[in-house]
Amino acid sequence: MEGFESGLTWEVRANDRKHHKQMKSFLCFRWGRYADNLVRSYKYSPLTFLPLTLFEQFQRAAYLYFLLMVVMQSVPDISSVPFYITIFPLLIVLSVRGLKDLANDMARRRSDSEINSRPCDVLDSQSFNRAQWKDVCVGDVLRIHKDQVIPADLLVLCSSEPHSLCYVETADIDGECNLKFRQALSATHNQLTSHPSEETLAAFDGVVLCEEPNNRLYTFRGQMHWRGESLLLDNEHILLRGTVLRNTDFAYGLTIYTGADSKVLRNCGKLRVKRTRMERVFNQVVIGIVLSVLLAALLLAIGAGVFSSWVMSHIGPTSALVINGNPVYTGFLIFWSYIILLSPAMPIALYISFEVIHMVHSLFIGWDMEMYWQQANRPAQARNTSLNEELGQVGYLLSDKTGTLTQNRLLFRQCCIAGEVYGDASSKAEDTEPMDLSWNPFSCGGLFMSAPSLVQKLRGQQCPISCQFLRALSVCHTVMAIWKEEAPVYQAASPDEEALVGAARELGWVFLSRTRDFIVVSELGVTREYRLLALLDFTSHRRRMSVLVREPEGGLKLYCKGADLVILERLQKDCLHQERTERALELFSQACLRTLCVAVRSVPEASWEQWSKTLDQSATMVTSDRDALLEKLYDQMEIDLQLIGVTAIEDRLQEGVHETIALLQQAGIKVWVLTGDKKETAVNIGYSCKLLDPDTRLLEWQELKQILQSPDPGVTFFKARQTELWAVDKQAAEAKTALVLTGPELAEFDQKPEWGATFMRLAEQCQSVLCCRVTPGQKADIVSLVRKHTRSITMSIGDGANDVNMIKTAHVGVGLAGVEGGQAVQNADFALSQFRFLQRLLLVHGRWSYRRISFFLRYFLFKTCSFALVHIWFGFFNGFSAQSLYETWFIALYSLFYTAFPIMCLAFFEQDVNAESSLKWPELYRSGQRQELSSPLILISSLLYAVYSSLVFFFIPFGVFHNTAYDFQTMAVTVAMAATFTANAEISLVTRYWTRWNVAAVCVSVVLFFICSRVTQSTRLFKASPMDYFFLGASERAFIDPLVWLTALLTTWTAVLPSMTALAINVILNMHDKHKVHSASSQPVELRSRLTRGASLRRSSYALSQGAGPGRLISSGTCIRSTVLTVNEQVTADNNSTDSQLQINMKNNIDAPNHT
Amino acid sequence: MVKEEKEIANRPDNTAFTQQRLPAWQPMLSAGIVIPGFVLIGLAFIGIGVALFVTSRSITVLEIDYTGIEKDSACFKCSNADVKNCVCNLVFSIDSLFEGPVFFYYGLSNYFQNYRKYAASRDDEQLSGDLDAFTAPSDSCSPYDYNSNDQPIVPCGAIANSMFNDTFVLYRVVNGANKLVPLDGKGIAWWTDYNVKFRNPSVTPLKNAFNNTVKPIFWPKPAYQLDASDPANNGFINQDFLVWMRRAALPDFRKLYRRITDGEYAKGLPAGNYSLTIAYNYPVESFDGRKKVVFSNVSWMGGKNEFLGIAYLVVGSLCVLMSIVMLIVYAKFKFPEED
Repeated sequence: MEGFESGLTWEVRANDRKHHKQMKSFLCFRWGRYADNLVRSYKYSPLTFLPLTLFEQFQRAAYLYFLLMVVMQSVPDISSVPFYITIFPLLIVLSVRGLKDLANDMARRRSDSEINSRPCDVLDSQSFNRAQWKDVCVGDVLRIHKDQVIPADLLVLCSSEPHSLCYVETADIDGECNLKFRQALSATHNQLTSHPSEETLAAFDGVVLCEEPNNRLYTFRGQMHWRGESLLLDNEHILLRGTVLRNTDFAYGLTIYTGADSKVLRNCGKLRVKRTRMERVFNQVVIGIVLSVLLAALLLAIGAGVFSSWVMSHIGPTSALVINGNPVYTGFLIFWSYIILLSPAMPIALYISFEVIHMVHSLFIGWDMEMYWQQANRPAQARNTSLNEELGQVGYLLSDKTGTLTQNRLLFRQCCIAGEVYGDASSKAEDTEPMDLSWNPFSCGGLFMSAPSLVQKLRGQQCPISCQFLRALSVCHTVMAIWKEEAPVYQAASPDEEALVGAARELGWVFLSRTRDFIVVSELGVTREYRLLALLDFTSHRRRMSVLVREPEGGLKLYCKGADLVILERLQKDCLHQERTERALELFSQACLRTLCVAVRSVPEASWEQWSKTLDQSATMVTSDRDALLEKLYDQMEIDLQLIGVTAIEDRLQEGVHETIALLQQAGIKVWVLTGDKKETAVNIGYSCKLLDPDTRLLEWQELKQILQSPDPGVTFFKARQTELWAVDKQAAEAKTALVLTGPELAEFDQKPEWGATFMRLAEQCQSVLCCRVTPGQKADIVSLVRKHTRSITMSIGDGANDVNMIKTAHVGVGLAGVEGGQAVQNADFALSQFRFLQRLLLVHGRWSYRRISFFLRYFLFKTCSFALVHIWFGFFNGFSAQSLYETWFIALYSLFYTAFPIMCLAFFEQDVNAESSLKWPELYRSGQRQELSSPLILISSLLYAVYSSLVFFFIPFGVFHNTAYDFQTMAVTVAMAATFTANAEISLVTRYWTRWNVAAVCVSVVLFFICSRVTQSTRLFKASPMDYFFLGASERAFIDPLVWLTALLTTWTAVLPSMTALAINVILNMHDKHKVHSASSQPVELRSRLTRGASLRRSSYALSQGAGPGRLISSGTCIRSTVLTVNEQVTADNNSTDSQLQINMKNNIDAPNHT
Repeated sequence: MVKEEKEIANRPDNTAFTQQRLPAWQPMLSAGIVIPGFVLIGLAFIGIGVALFVTSRSITVLEIDYTGIEKDSACFKCSNADVKNCVCNLVFSIDSLFEGPVFFYYGLSNYFQNYRKYAASRDDEQLSGDLDAFTAPSDSCSPYDYNSNDQPIVPCGAIANSMFNDTFVLYRVVNGANKLVPLDGKGIAWWTDYNVKFRNPSVTPLKNAFNNTVKPIFWPKPAYQLDASDPANNGFINQDFLVWMRRAALPDFRKLYRRITDGEYAKGLPAGNYSLTIAYNYPVESFDGRKKVVFSNVSWMGGKNEFLGIAYLVVGSLCVLMSIVMLIVYAKFKFPEED
């Protein structure tokens, strides 16, 4: 078949379930070519839970190691320590973790089944039956109702709307809230809507050939073979899973991709287990410890072999104990015994404590009042409880724009009419005094502008130019009005237009409805009909749109609105108010408002007639240069404009966005914006949220590509930055540069992987990077790029389903819950309600967590190694016999009772500076990024410290007890006492924040040592089990012996002396550092050159999600149904339909990003 | 009202704990605290060191090696393992009064009582008087659990088997005549060992309990005949046995043998010549060991221990030294412009 040659190998036969349900099966496993529509994000089934969870857990090398220890400890010949010392903690850890995983999995299962059981209507021979999402199968015909989420990727067959248009909201896919339209093929539209739909749909037997399932959201290639015809399909005919049908009563679709094959799920990325970097470093250290233990054990075993051969050469009481008389075999057994004896150097308690600490830190995040958002009644939430310390090390923050930085609410804040500025944008939108608009029956709020003088002027009809301004706003647009409850509801492809038309409504110029030829506007209660003669549509190149209308009075008017630059160059000479208006433009752009110029022209009848003739001619042309021709023609009409005014729209930022970004940048975090939105919008937002400074130079793709291609990118980049800035602003000593990229440009990185490293090197020197029009997959690719080429921790933040992939890819993913909880939150590691909470999450919780966990790991290494390594030194004085220097119970209780509480308290409560100071001095955050507290060097130094302490633990008591009448048990108690004292003294040195819990913990630990020692060495327990409690009476005597106390005291002090000295030297040197921090906090006022704010810095933007506006649909009348079409019109409409079809196809050719 | 409650249902508790605002003491360390602190601690350690050193100096110790490796040694003749029931006489003199109470120790070196297999080679059940363990000693005693005729050894195990069995009699030489110095062997073992850990089976006479068992291979006499002079001091609660069973920590050790507390010797050993008669039974040559007898008096800190005093002095001086270094560093940082 021809389809195979062009790569269209995915065959879908409508209404043919059998074909698609062919399954291969083997045992209980089944697979087929076509996935079913089930979402499975869970991992376990009742049968597989136990093996899987054990498998997963034992993938941690540490657990395997402990298991090995347990096994070895139960072999009597080598057991130097009884087995119950390890097995109970191990069992506890395994079951706690297992239960935690199980609970998480249950939650996933619930959410899966919630999604899988959503209802939808499936055509089942002649009639639609209510079924669940999971029952949907490739080839099924579905009926989608208004506001329903689409369950699978569908081909639109027909809809309730004229021309089988349907509108979808793709917020969950690309984060854009405006509506997009999709349309059925004219063939299916004509054939399937003309008859009662169930029967015709059931009889539909088209065969679709298309691409294999892929993750490209914006393209689709396919063919439909039906009734001998072969029709081309593209993205415009596809409804994607996860989008929502809007403004369309119902639509019928043929299922193309289901479940895991659907484009959204293909974009989701894999669920991966995130491990923190510190955990990895720590695991390496643990492996190092294990290897050292093995080495030590080996050397000691050799010693044991030599010793036993020496013993055997003599006759003595011990010689008979050397097993079998073979030194090699003895050495072999001793090797294992020493491994067991030294294993407490890496205790299992570490892993339990690590988890508990992470959990408590996560709870603290959830408990933080400052991160609780009253409006949504939602506290912050740590969904992944094992990443807390990474929050303190973030180097790159990759943020989504819509819904994350912005609220996706556009507000009409100011305007300038005839040089007069109305409204005040310096105050917050909420603080503006609401105007009294009760005279306007259509007013329904939402205007955050206080300009009573304007209202007065308008109502008094004293100022014709103001009226004209509002008329322009209410007429010149492509918005549709839908009547709901006696009021028009506006549906716009561009949120800007919606804001403008809405503002006009509030001020009395109410756009009521539009038909193909008329626009009906109520002007201060007077209904006027404007005949729409031509709609000169928006394109990203023209950056303006106009309407040509005949006024009820008969005059011809052209209303035009567009970007300031393009409008200003088309004005009449000596236009009134131009100078003042330009000043207003500057004012608005300084307030980071999006501006549009509004202009008008009275068109002479004669020129209109001539122009319209040429227009008709060129409109019928079907050549490729038609667009160019049209553009030229439009240009001819849009001349001699008369400037009326300027609108200023605020793209509402989330609260506190620019403070947060400024703070994070001070903390050394690079903030990047990744958005599916247009470049202009993204750059505008970049400026308004202070991510870019007004004098930041934007480096775009053309230049960047040159730099990347040049042999020495660094130099070229530097030069480019330098020279340009030299020209623009000679005073800018420090160059500020930002990169701006778009999705298709990023796609080129796939072919040139070597660019990645260079790009990242450049990006590191830039203030920020903005990536626009990127797909969810690309967002994730960017995150991977950063991860690959830097050693920094990356954090992604987003709110929509389009951010899920990047949230999963980054080291740490944050989901914004926003107004409604979304998909992002489901997949995020942390869920916040507001972007500004990020500063607290990172600078306070993250930094604390990082410090606490760093201290925790270092201290834990120290306390366990120092106490366990003593056995190495003792080995030299007991014939390398793997004799323990401690009572068995001391080994068991040491890491549990005698040392655990203080470090846990430290890990819970420690603060070097309080939350306020953390936010005040964001520079403090940098120590986390540089890993100052957790570098391998630091960990190794604490290991060396532990080795030193273990030497002290052994050799000072050795010196004291050598050649005396003191017995082994007294020495054991002395060393144990010294070890406990040291562990508690060391934690006291580390603790800087002594809550009463910390004090209690240290006291309790020491007291517990005395109590537990007395208990395990008591008569009663000895009588119960002499073998296990054989230290009877040792501590009873030792604790009253001054020599024991003096020895323990000296040992403790000597052991902590290095730490004490380091602390003291730190204190002495730190006076200097503290001074630095203080001076750094008062940064010099940034010098911003006002001069550079020239006209070129004005930011005018007209945001539309797609390249061209929907004007053509309006002018062709395809999407208008608010008025009943006459028979004649219907005919014309039908005739036009082929035309519009064509136009749409052409448009797609322009729009579709080329993903080859 | 209900709605309002619901609205703040998720609101976190505003407590000091949840908001991480627990009142806390944050020690503000400064050079002004740290350096004097170091000096003070250093001085305290030096003080303790001096006290220990002086105390240690005041203790008299008399240590005599009687292994007999050297040819001029009194016990040279006994060092050969083939000589049985060898007795040697060690003569020594004390110049001035050896202040009492004098403790009499025997010492062994290069003797690994802390060898793990050796340490485990005992049966606690048996030693606490359990008659079942008499007939079937624990595996841990192996290979000292049964003799070649498969009879159980009581007390079993290597520790018991290797019990030190040299005996000493001390004479004061007064005008050429030997005058016996009474040695007190009571209460030299730990109270818990004597009363709890080690029990004889409640069988009278004690000998019957040992029916069908054999004495440890190394022992000349069975356990119930360890002390012929005092019938109560036999079996597992024999003081010498208890002292031996309490293992030493390190390969060089002393064990208390007797105390000299009686009558005229309560104040100590007067100056003069003494003769120690040693029943030389215990072979140490095989493992390069040494045997010695030690006479010592004690202070509040126990026996003579110069190491501890010196260690305190060293660490204390180190602290003082370090504080001086810190002071220099501090001065350099505080007045950097003078540099």
